[in-house]
Amino acid sequence: MRRTHVQILERVLATVPIALGVAIAVFVLMRLMPGDPVDIMMGEAGGVTQDDVDALRAELGLDRPLASQLGAYLAGLARGDLGRSIQSSRPVTDVILEALPATIELALYSLVFALALAVPIGVISALRQRSIIDRASMAGSFLGISMPAFWLGLLGIIVFSLHLGWLPTSGRITYGYEPETITGLFTVDAILTGNIPALVDSLKHLVLPAATLGAGVAGVVARVVRSSMLEVLRADYVLFARAKGVPERSVTVRHALRNALIPTVTVVGLQVGTLLGGNMIVETIFGWPGLGRVVVDAIFSRDYPLVQAAVMVYALTFVLVNLATDVLYTYLNPKMTL
Amino acid sequence: MKASLMLRRASWSVVALTAVLLLVFLTTGAPEGGAAQAAGKTLAVVIDAEANRADEAEAIAADLRAIGIDADVRIWEWSALKDSALKGERQMYLTDWGSAYFDPFDLAVPKLRTGDRGNYSHYSNPAFDRAIDAALTTIDPEARRRAYYEAQSILCDDAPWIFGYYLSETEAARAEVTNWQPAMDSRINLHDVGLVRGDTIVVGMKTDKIVTLDPAMHRERDTETVIRNMFDGLVTRTWDGKVVPEIAESWTTPADNVYVFKIRKGIKFHNGEELDADDVVFTFERILKEGAIAGRSSPRASLLGPVEKVEKIDKYTVRFTLSSPFPVFLQALVQTQVVPKDYIQRVGDEEFARNPVGCGPFKYVGGRLDDQIVMERFDDYYGGSPDLPPVGPAKVKRVIFRMMPDPTVRITALKAGEVQIVQQVPPDLAANLRRDKNVQVKAVEGTRVYCVELNCAKPPFDDVRVRKAMNYAVNWDRILQTIYGGTATRLATAFLPSGFGFNPDLKPYPYDPERAKALLSEAGYLVR
Repeated sequence: MRRTHVQILERVLATVPIALGVAIAVFVLMRLMPGDPVDIMMGEAGGVTQDDVDALRAELGLDRPLASQLGAYLAGLARGDLGRSIQSSRPVTDVILEALPATIELALYSLVFALALAVPIGVISALRQRSIIDRASMAGSFLGISMPAFWLGLLGIIVFSLHLGWLPTSGRITYGYEPETITGLFTVDAILTGNIPALVDSLKHLVLPAATLGAGVAGVVARVVRSSMLEVLRADYVLFARAKGVPERSVTVRHALRNALIPTVTVVGLQVGTLLGGNMIVETIFGWPGLGRVVVDAIFSRDYPLVQAAVMVYALTFVLVNLATDVLYTYLNPKMTL
Repeated sequence: MKASLMLRRASWSVVALTAVLLLVFLTTGAPEGGAAQAAGKTLAVVIDAEANRADEAEAIAADLRAIGIDADVRIWEWSALKDSALKGERQMYLTDWGSAYFDPFDLAVPKLRTGDRGNYSHYSNPAFDRAIDAALTTIDPEARRRAYYEAQSILCDDAPWIFGYYLSETEAARAEVTNWQPAMDSRINLHDVGLVRGDTIVVGMKTDKIVTLDPAMHRERDTETVIRNMFDGLVTRTWDGKVVPEIAESWTTPADNVYVFKIRKGIKFHNGEELDADDVVFTFERILKEGAIAGRSSPRASLLGPVEKVEKIDKYTVRFTLSSPFPVFLQALVQTQVVPKDYIQRVGDEEFARNPVGCGPFKYVGGRLDDQIVMERFDDYYGGSPDLPPVGPAKVKRVIFRMMPDPTVRITALKAGEVQIVQQVPPDLAANLRRDKNVQVKAVEGTRVYCVELNCAKPPFDDVRVRKAMNYAVNWDRILQTIYGGTATRLATAFLPSGFGFNPDLKPYPYDPERAKALLSEAGYLVR
């Protein structure tokens, strides 16, 4: 056990060089991109001269040599200072911390939705291989994977918000319902403060975006669960368990599913990264005030400090989720080590 | 084995992340070599456009191919395209430019004066520059009009662009919203509107986020739209662009370069403090002085043109001295909102941006720049501009600006009654919306010019015959009808009918492929 702890610590420490590499790569890439943040910020309108643009560039330190800018950035990073957004002149940390809870909350609910749907579907499909249920659910999962979010999301809005009027079209919560901020995750805060109306309202706002975002993940996971279940069900130890009279339910859940979950965990781990990073489209459709929209917008406006910091958040998330996946492996299969 | 697996995953995640950034590069492409053509050769052009105008670019390319031009379309991300066009590497590019002054001052001037900031076509004609300078250095309207007329004739002859069109902007509101009128400057004036039932108006904004709540720290129209419901300026505009008094009661111009404003008495900021000349002077000095806002300079300084001095004469009188006559000064003042001196000096600029205090019809309650901004009626409001009735406190109790970047969602929310007013209804969705009895749809003339800029500094478009041929070769009427329905209006040059000094007698180039071919052959190109 102790050994595992040391290894986890090693892995955590190993993220430092990765973070540094990401920091430098993003810094350089952003500046290689054509376009100038100050020029974009100055908009069109009349009267702006190149001198005005240059003066503002100098004020922001963008006229200094690249190496000196990088040095200043890394020095700031070491102090935990990520700089200020060029567009809004707010500290980048504030902007990201404001948007991150919304993204995390959406990702969590998408994942819950996806797993709650996909694991039973995958298991049942495997148990009833080539049945109608199997074919239908595999076709459904294929649809989930291939349906683009902007289409599925709009369809959901038109059906559930416009025609049925059950759910709100977009946003995170109705004005006036916001729970007191503790974690920033509205549903969690609502539960912690016992605020039932806030919980109900934020869940209503979560249904459509979480289902839209989770649909693709559910499709992938259902397929992986099904195929690994099929493999495991053919294994000798399952045959042996059946032979010695273990009830079928127990064979399926304890012997087969647990082992079949190992490849699933890998896939889910990778999908969590996608959920956290790749949801700009869902966030845009549902007016969800999360990090994805912030980043896309920052890239278009060449808001260097903001992009750098946000990509760093993504990179660290990926690394840590992968670490969590590996730790989970050792729990599912004690024979594996980190 | 585990270590290598981890390393592989880590490197994959880095790859995935950098891919987001690389996306921009993908749309960039390598610069094209010059398109120098020998006589008797086929003219080959690449038409550059952003994705949202890809269909239009393809249609233009088809028209050009029809007369024997070898035309290709390339899709770009905007900043990348602009960068390349400014370096002179591109041939022709679909661009657009908005005007907020109702004067060519911020349209034809920056777009076409030699070396000016928006002159992506590298156009240069000393005669045009002289005409423009004449119009900008006098405040005599007749002389200005004459100069602008001359500038338009020159443009028409020089054809530095394939002149394009402007759009009418469609906005919509629920039927229960009263006295609602979209404005040409995109302002959403919620002071004047009422509700038949309910007390909250939610506005579906077309933008992803607004930049700030500090009126001095942005150059962005949507941000201004939100801010102007909390802040008032010395003057304001009617929906169709006429300047009328707001905080100022009246003004005089003792000299061409001096303006004296009388400020209305008894105006209160949301925190109860009274507005006087000190606040007005502070507002302008904050913008004009370098590094005056928490160490940063306001990006709006250049909007004020040659303003040199802003002085308090007495408690309710302020004098502006300009270093040279600035004919669009009053239009520029519309875009400057007065801020409370004492409050800002007490709490600092950053706190002011977090908790803004103005003297407008609504006071800030809360929200997030990329989510929603909530305001409530300011009961001590002085009433607003007497030229924009009704005068008095706002009619509705609460207004919420919600960022809803997706047009379909915006419109669905309107139909579902979740929002009461929406910005920017795309033409294809407007028809459907017009059939909805619960919704009112109104269009207003836009102030943005769409065109195809030609690189006038390099072959083939350094030859005016080729540029003119391009103008004759494009069948705009068909393209615009197909893409924008009836919402686009063609332009003869780079001047808008809503702007000062527009010459209505100048007609756009007609679609005439035969003349285009004749001009191209004359310039030495093969035609079909």
